[in-house]
Amino acid sequence: MSTASRSLADDIRGRTDAQLVDLVLARPDLARPSPADLTSLAARAGTRASVQRAVEALDRGHLQVLEALVVAGDGASVTDLATLLGGADESVVAAHLTDLWTAALVWRASDGEHVVRTVPEVFGSSIAGLGAPLAELRPDLASRVPTAEELRATIAEAPDDARAMLEKMTWGPALGVLPTGTAGRSTARWLIERHLLLPVSVDRVALPREVGLVLREGRLHRAPELEPPALDARPASLVDAAAGGSASELLTQVDELAAMWGAEPPRVLRAGGVSVRDLRVTQQRLDVTPERTAFVVEVAYAAGLVADDGEIVPVWAPTAQIDDWPSIDAGERWATLALAWAGSTRAPHLVGRRSSGTGTANVLGPDVQWPAIRGVRRDVLRELAMLDPGQAADATSLRARLAWRRPSRTAAVLGDAVEAVLREAEWLGVTGRGALSEAGRALVDTAFPAVPDHPPIRGDRGGGAGGAITSNGQPQGEGLHSVAAAMAAHLPAPVDHVLVQADLTAVAPGPLVGSLGAFMRLAADVESRGGATVYRFTPESVRRALDAGWTSAEVIETVRRSSRTPVPQPLEYLVSDVARRHGQTRIGGAAAYIRSDDEAVLDTMLASRDLSALQLRRLAPTVLVSSADPRVLIDLLREHGFAPVHEGRDGTVVHAETPKRRAGTRRRGPAPVVSPVDLDTTRHLVESLRAAEATAADRRAEHDQRSGPSIPATDPVVTLALLRDAVAEHHGVWIGLSDQVGITTRHLIHPQRVEGGRVWAKDDAGRERTFSVHRITGATLEG
Amino acid sequence: MNDGPLIVQSDKTLLLEVDHPSAEAARRAIAPFAELERAPEHVHTYRITPLGLWNARAAGHDAEQVVDALMTHSRYAVPHALLVDVADTMDRYGRLTLEKEGLADSAEGTRLVLRTTDRPVLEEVLRHKKIRPLVGERIDELAVVVHPSERGTLKQELLKVGWPAEDLAGYVDGEAHPIGLQQDGWHLRPYQQQAVDGFWHGGSGVVVLPCGAGKTLVGAGAMAAAKATTLILVTNTVSARQWKDELIKRTTLTEDEIGEYSGARKEIRPVTIATYQVLTTRRKGAYTHLDLLDARDWGLVVYDEVHLLPAPIFRMTADLQARRRLGLTATLVREDGREADVFSLIGPKRFDAPWKDIEAQGYIAPADCVEVRVTLPEGQRLAYAVSEPEERYRLASCSDAKLPVVEKLAQRHTGEPTLVIGQYLDQLHEVAERLGAEVITGETTVRERQRLYDAFRAGDITTLVVSKVANFSIDLPEASVAIQISGTFGSRQEEAQRLGRVLRPKGDGRTAHFYTIVSRDTVDADFAAHRQRFLAEQGYAYRIVDADDL
Repeated sequence: MSTASRSLADDIRGRTDAQLVDLVLARPDLARPSPADLTSLAARAGTRASVQRAVEALDRGHLQVLEALVVAGDGASVTDLATLLGGADESVVAAHLTDLWTAALVWRASDGEHVVRTVPEVFGSSIAGLGAPLAELRPDLASRVPTAEELRATIAEAPDDARAMLEKMTWGPALGVLPTGTAGRSTARWLIERHLLLPVSVDRVALPREVGLVLREGRLHRAPELEPPALDARPASLVDAAAGGSASELLTQVDELAAMWGAEPPRVLRAGGVSVRDLRVTQQRLDVTPERTAFVVEVAYAAGLVADDGEIVPVWAPTAQIDDWPSIDAGERWATLALAWAGSTRAPHLVGRRSSGTGTANVLGPDVQWPAIRGVRRDVLRELAMLDPGQAADATSLRARLAWRRPSRTAAVLGDAVEAVLREAEWLGVTGRGALSEAGRALVDTAFPAVPDHPPIRGDRGGGAGGAITSNGQPQGEGLHSVAAAMAAHLPAPVDHVLVQADLTAVAPGPLVGSLGAFMRLAADVESRGGATVYRFTPESVRRALDAGWTSAEVIETVRRSSRTPVPQPLEYLVSDVARRHGQTRIGGAAAYIRSDDEAVLDTMLASRDLSALQLRRLAPTVLVSSADPRVLIDLLREHGFAPVHEGRDGTVVHAETPKRRAGTRRRGPAPVVSPVDLDTTRHLVESLRAAEATAADRRAEHDQRSGPSIPATDPVVTLALLRDAVAEHHGVWIGLSDQVGITTRHLIHPQRVEGGRVWAKDDAGRERTFSVHRITGATLEG
Repeated sequence: MNDGPLIVQSDKTLLLEVDHPSAEAARRAIAPFAELERAPEHVHTYRITPLGLWNARAAGHDAEQVVDALMTHSRYAVPHALLVDVADTMDRYGRLTLEKEGLADSAEGTRLVLRTTDRPVLEEVLRHKKIRPLVGERIDELAVVVHPSERGTLKQELLKVGWPAEDLAGYVDGEAHPIGLQQDGWHLRPYQQQAVDGFWHGGSGVVVLPCGAGKTLVGAGAMAAAKATTLILVTNTVSARQWKDELIKRTTLTEDEIGEYSGARKEIRPVTIATYQVLTTRRKGAYTHLDLLDARDWGLVVYDEVHLLPAPIFRMTADLQARRRLGLTATLVREDGREADVFSLIGPKRFDAPWKDIEAQGYIAPADCVEVRVTLPEGQRLAYAVSEPEERYRLASCSDAKLPVVEKLAQRHTGEPTLVIGQYLDQLHEVAERLGAEVITGETTVRERQRLYDAFRAGDITTLVVSKVANFSIDLPEASVAIQISGTFGSRQEEAQRLGRVLRPKGDGRTAHFYTIVSRDTVDADFAAHRQRFLAEQGYAYRIVDADDL
């Protein structure tokens, strides 16, 4: 504990290293950029922006203690505060007070706790629904502020209607509109005459803080909540199995999404994102709810599996990463998705909501970006992690608890986000039946590691998903592996076979191994999803496989090889039937054709060596085609003694093949470096602060010993003028000189000449030195 | 991870691996609430529907049992959302009940009341446009009077809005009439007995059994259980005669006790067999034979071939809710998609068994299903290519390229009772001429039909060419070969019925043959594929052969 201080700066200078570490951890914004010394640390801790940030990060319990201290005034005792807080446990109040002191929202002097000057400013005039103090509302009455007893006596005399009016304003807001009726006016007049209400404008009155407190019977809050509300939990069974099931389903959905978007990538809207129509098409293919579709798409995007391909007409396409995806172990694939989700600043649940101005928010669009969601995910998952394994949190109590932790958030928005996070965690398999799964726990440890010995109040930033994820969503290192290993055990084992049946369906009794899965998706339509997948072979699906280059024999052979059951004969017929008709009509491209009724002429052309450059090909006895331009063809033929004429260009066939598109790896700006304010950096910072402080202390000591005037900061123009005078009058000058590291030293010099922004002067010892004028912080004449 | 035979899909289908050792246990566990959708060789598909869940509730199962059945037999984790949905859906059942309430001051003595335990539910349903007119005055906050005649319609509408009513009003016993089974030398087969029991305990409902599996006997068994006057509704007169013969043979009923109510005869006796056709006959916009339904105090109404139930019968059935109703069918596939109406008006499915299971027990003949593909000659292909779309099916299915194939098949099975079934009369006559066989069409008189059937049965003639009149309920005991030359587009239930023609067990345990002749690369083949999908889903793997390879 510090010795008596006279100010926040004094208090901070008096803290031990450990206390300083705690301070910086509690308010990480103080460390960026690093303050030069403790004095500037203290100055920064007192700025409004920093205090605002610190106050917003407080949970409701600490907030209430701080409010109580502001209302009670500096130096209030713990007992006073406990009374204000409705008879709260004094030890809890004292502990909270210490936390507030740690966070430098409160400083300690010999006469007790003082609130940092900017805190009341941040709160504004209304604290906990109380109005401004009487003295502030009516400075003229400042000398005659009635005591609580006097007020109580006055209120006791109040007629019923006056008392009712007061009661309405008791718990805030402390501002009211004057009633218009005569009866109401006279009631109000009674109150105003006794200064129980004070008029603030023509038709408005305020309830002074003193009166409010008396009405509240000395309590500041209707319901003091110093401790977080309990988190109700219920046991959940088969948590990991359920999580594994969801995880497996998600992986299938991502595969399907990639296959679908690889073939027919949706357009990137001008405002960014995917159009509602394209999303609906995707949803129909995935066969899930619109919310879940948005989630799958956003997760795939966060994991870098799909991206804007950046072409002139941009489309959303799978990235090159998807080509290696099937070969990655399922657990690792899941871990990649889960970590990407945890670190993502995008909130899929906002898709389809009305966003400000621009209509509904589109999936992958800019309106889905909501950085606060990451904090909500962290809070929710950490709360879940605090429960024993196999315990599912009750959603209502979880919401209440998070609302307590983040009193500054709008309850509805927070509640909505919490619900969305719980839902997404369930879809992802981070939770199973509402309880955190083993893999979920590993995810929390990796993505949101707790800071060791962290102080009870924490800023919003620390411990973000910085550890395991680099900025481009690529998880790395051990974190990924531990998460992957935790999930791998619960993922259904991949199967390498299907059961083919006479009704042309094939059932995969589990997730298929990569290559077989891709084949089945290509050659058959998915009819039902879940733990197993039911595929149906249809003429269309078989044609799709043939279009992709499979032969009928290969299709049948692959089915035969992967089927545990004999391949039904109708399936073979189906495949061969489709194959028989497949390719009956052929389409190709040619730039020009030559037709002639005289087949002999065409024979001559084909045989001519001079024309071999034209790469003539015979399609029919009377038709040749060439890939050369018609004009070239005509010229060359003419040269060689033929007499062709030019026919119109109709009949040119357009190549109808659609190649699979792949976007380049996502191009991003330089990766924003997330360097969390953790224990090590903080210790480092405090060490350097200490060192700087020591130097500053030395300097102060030196300063005290040294003679000479204090040097005011002067404008360079003034400095120059003064130096010139000194040269003229051979006067000595005290200057302040800042060196390369920014430390200002004092020198007594005798300037000789001033030229080109430099001063030639003799110092005390008579040595000639040169100084740059821009380094001189100030100057004053000697004596 | 569990190693159960069941995989629960997120789209609420259940996949049952039939070769798994505990498949049978799993099947029994899920049968009460899941509908068997497909039963091919290896993996059967069941579906969980609200209707199925409510039926399970009606039969006394609760959500916990359903969840337990899923969890016990599932190989992978059951999607949580599905479990929640099951519980929620089942919870909706029984919030509304239909009850009979005694009235002290009324002449009738009782009235029908729709009562709820949950007022908002009642308020919600009473605000529905279609439900409001069906109920009478409000008794109190939680109950409202229902006219007995609206009982069926109300139940149907409540089901549509998702608040099924539990019908506690019970059934009238009807006029008692002694009926017993004469089990001399034969017995109800185990599955028939199960079907009868399932129906009787449930009160009303539908029994699904493959053709040839003895549905008539299930009807007889139900009558013997009811011991009351019975109205049997059948598809046509021939079928009515067969019911009559079978009942005389199998039960204590005598010829005098059974009446036929058809276009030809109008007898009303303790057991009356009526055709759908006569019931739906209208004169001047009014149904002329509606009185039949009230002619006696029927204790049981049997609907044969319930998948063919015409729409007006649905409406009439709505008025019969106080009587026990038994629906019989081979397939609950209705091409018009009115399965839900069957369930809500006649009752839930009380018994269902995959065809293959019954075949395995030896009660229906094993069948060899073959699709024979003929290639159209060049000229016909061209004609087909340029024809109008609506003409195409007829052109393709009536191709004369099929005729030699029919001949070849008939030769192959010379001496075996063979049916040639088709859709188009010209084609049938042509085939009959080539085979030298008789034709039965809608124009053939009942007398002539009976003569031909008898001759066929006696073995005097071995080949019959029939139009679609023979689709239903003709009982040709020894038909062991069916050759289908054209069908009603893609009708699946027709295919099932036609296969049923040859599935009756053969005296010597022979395999039945079912041929379908289709024209390659035409809509005929597409429709055939659609029809056969049904058979494949029933577990009949069919083969495809080229006509040239025969």
